[in-house]
Amino acid sequence: MGETGCGKSTLGHSIPRLLPEPPAKVTSGKIVFQGTDLLKIPKWRMPGVRGTGIGMIFQEPINSLNPAYRVGDQIAESVRIRKLRERGIMPALKPDVKGFDYSKRELPKASEVVTGPFIPPNVTQTLKTRGPPMTKEIHQEVLDFLRLVRINDPERIVNLFPHELSGGMRQRIMIAMALSGKPALLIADEPTSALDVTIQAQVLTLMKELMEEVRTSIMFISHDLGVIAEMADDVGVMYAGHMVEFGPVAEIFESPRHPYTKALLRSIPNRYKDEGVLPSLSGSVPNLSKLPVGCTFNPRCPLARDVCRVKPGPPFALLPPGPAGGMHRTACFFPDEVPSMP
Amino acid sequence: MGRSRSDLVVFIAKRLAQLVPVLLGVIVITFFFTHIAVSNPCAIWSGPKASPSTIAACVKNNHFNDSLPVQFYYYLAGLVSGNWGTDPLFHSPVLSVLLTDFPATLELVLAATFLMVFIGIPLGVVAAASNGRIADHLVRIFYLSGWATPTYIAGVVLAIGLGPLLGVSGGDFSTTSSPVPAITHMSVLDAIIALNPGATVDAIVHLILPAVALAFINMGIATRMTRTSMLEILPLEFVKTARMKGLGEFWVLYKHALRNALITTTTVLGVTAGTMVSGTVVIESVFVWPGLGRYAYEAITEYDFAGTIGVVIFFAIVVVAANLIADILYGVLDPRVEWR
Ligand SMILES: Nc1ncnc2c1ncn2[C@@H]1O[C@H](COP(=O)(O)OP(=O)(O)O)[C@@H](O)[C@H]1O
Ligand code: SF4
Ligand SMILES: [Mg+2]
Repeated sequence: MGETGCGKSTLGHSIPRLLPEPPAKVTSGKIVFQGTDLLKIPKWRMPGVRGTGIGMIFQEPINSLNPAYRVGDQIAESVRIRKLRERGIMPALKPDVKGFDYSKRELPKASEVVTGPFIPPNVTQTLKTRGPPMTKEIHQEVLDFLRLVRINDPERIVNLFPHELSGGMRQRIMIAMALSGKPALLIADEPTSALDVTIQAQVLTLMKELMEEVRTSIMFISHDLGVIAEMADDVGVMYAGHMVEFGPVAEIFESPRHPYTKALLRSIPNRYKDEGVLPSLSGSVPNLSKLPVGCTFNPRCPLARDVCRVKPGPPFALLPPGPAGGMHRTACFFPDEVPSMP
Repeated sequence: MGRSRSDLVVFIAKRLAQLVPVLLGVIVITFFFTHIAVSNPCAIWSGPKASPSTIAACVKNNHFNDSLPVQFYYYLAGLVSGNWGTDPLFHSPVLSVLLTDFPATLELVLAATFLMVFIGIPLGVVAAASNGRIADHLVRIFYLSGWATPTYIAGVVLAIGLGPLLGVSGGDFSTTSSPVPAITHMSVLDAIIALNPGATVDAIVHLILPAVALAFINMGIATRMTRTSMLEILPLEFVKTARMKGLGEFWVLYKHALRNALITTTTVLGVTAGTMVSGTVVIESVFVWPGLGRYAYEAITEYDFAGTIGVVIFFAIVVVAANLIADILYGVLDPRVEWR
């Protein structure tokens, strides 16, 4: 989570290497997916990771479906790619078993879910046969995936073009399409932000239900703290292009250990209490191309002092385990002072 | 209005009905231009040694003593009854000459269109995909040079420079000595129908240079339009969606992006039909291609009024048909379009 413009989409897009290179460039770090550093493999192998490895849902349902093809055919394409990969006809990036050691994974919660590609409950199990998948078999799966996203008349919907559907329907189709690749990781970049409020609630409920049904890790990007609190197991807070805090949802919301997180949470109105004017953070988000030296948050931080204004900034350090257990990291020199922060 | 088959039929019928006023206008303009420019060509037609009685007979046969509207009436009446006049030298009927020459021109235009579509459009995709990098600049140099080169220069350079390399002698690119029966009067098609591979290769060899020369100017338009519309399409979200399905870049570009970019490109291709047919006049004369373009050139230089108007009618039909096809393609490519 993070304010608009803090680099959430950029981070999400950089994982499947969707950013146009140039101008985008990953200058440091690793993107490890199932044991493979995606920055180390050649660009032309990236399609083998997408779809079946990493799926993605975008913010704008208006443009995210191809206007020239029927939605059924667009989902069928995803299903076909997965089937061709399952049968070894199309190249796919295999998990690197040595690098992909579950026992050493840093996020215990997530490790429970990423044990294998999911099988949606009502998808007809098909025998794995050799040779290209048959059209009927694919068509059946397309209908199944549309039913999975609670579309009641899939036989009619498959024949429609995107412009014949509402925004909420298109986003359902997008979700069905991303899921039809059975990805191990699904990145949902503000999937509801562009929708009407009522539709937003419906799609969110759908996503929440699907999270239970579908065994896929989901990276849910949002600027809406309320949505995050409902959806997430672990939360990463972003500020000015960096992740400044990461931890279990309960700890992040109840005892944040980064001044920015705390300030962000204070800005949520409490609907049971009249708080008068809501506190807001002084100053503004820095220009991402001219970041402050040291801690990027120092110009706005009430706890800032001299060490915060020199290089290098605070490390993204692990905190001692809290009551909720799990990992809690923060990029602040003085995490212990945050709870009593003015 | 909708997208059903009957809507399409109504659409085509309406457009064909529009052809009538277009043709009438074209006929009126060409008729009056030719007849006002040279009011009595009988002396020229009959040659310098003709006797006065021959010339008088010619004037009488062609109603040149009547007023222009009356002459126009006679011409139109003939046109409707299938008598499009005769040419002044050999007195062969214009319509049958046009009908035998038309397939050769159609073949040339189709070959040039083929090159535009299968070379010009992919070049535009390559240019857009490498926007601002070397491949983009190379493609731009290619299409700008095509644009800047007058048709006749491209024709002459290709005919003289490359013709001998392909074994085409004497600059005559027609395949008159072809051993296959003329069914469609299109050399390549006839050779294929006759299942004669040697003749097919020979026909293609003869066709390729005139087609390249004709395509060269319009290729630039196809490439540039494709590049521009691809640059508009590529940043759209659904291109990312296509990539996130796990498709390779080739399919992302050609199946998803180009499919949408083509919607704009087809409209432009329809417009180039006019440039294309007017180009055949020059190209067919340079390459000695036995089609309408060369016939048009001869008809004009010989003051052959009936022939000139006849060719113009054919060209007008080709242009209208090309635009109709482009409009239909546009609607077929874009599911949001309704036939109207
Ligand atoms: N890590 C980064 N390094 C440099 N620039 C960044 C970084 N993250 C984001 N930006 C810039 O910030 C802009 C807004 O980021 P974006 O990811 O769209 O924010 P959000 O999705 O959170 O609203 C992007 O256009 C990008 O240029
Ligand atoms: S490191 Fe310093 S400036 Fe940065 S958040 Fe912590 S206290 Fe504030
Ligand atoms: Mg965003």
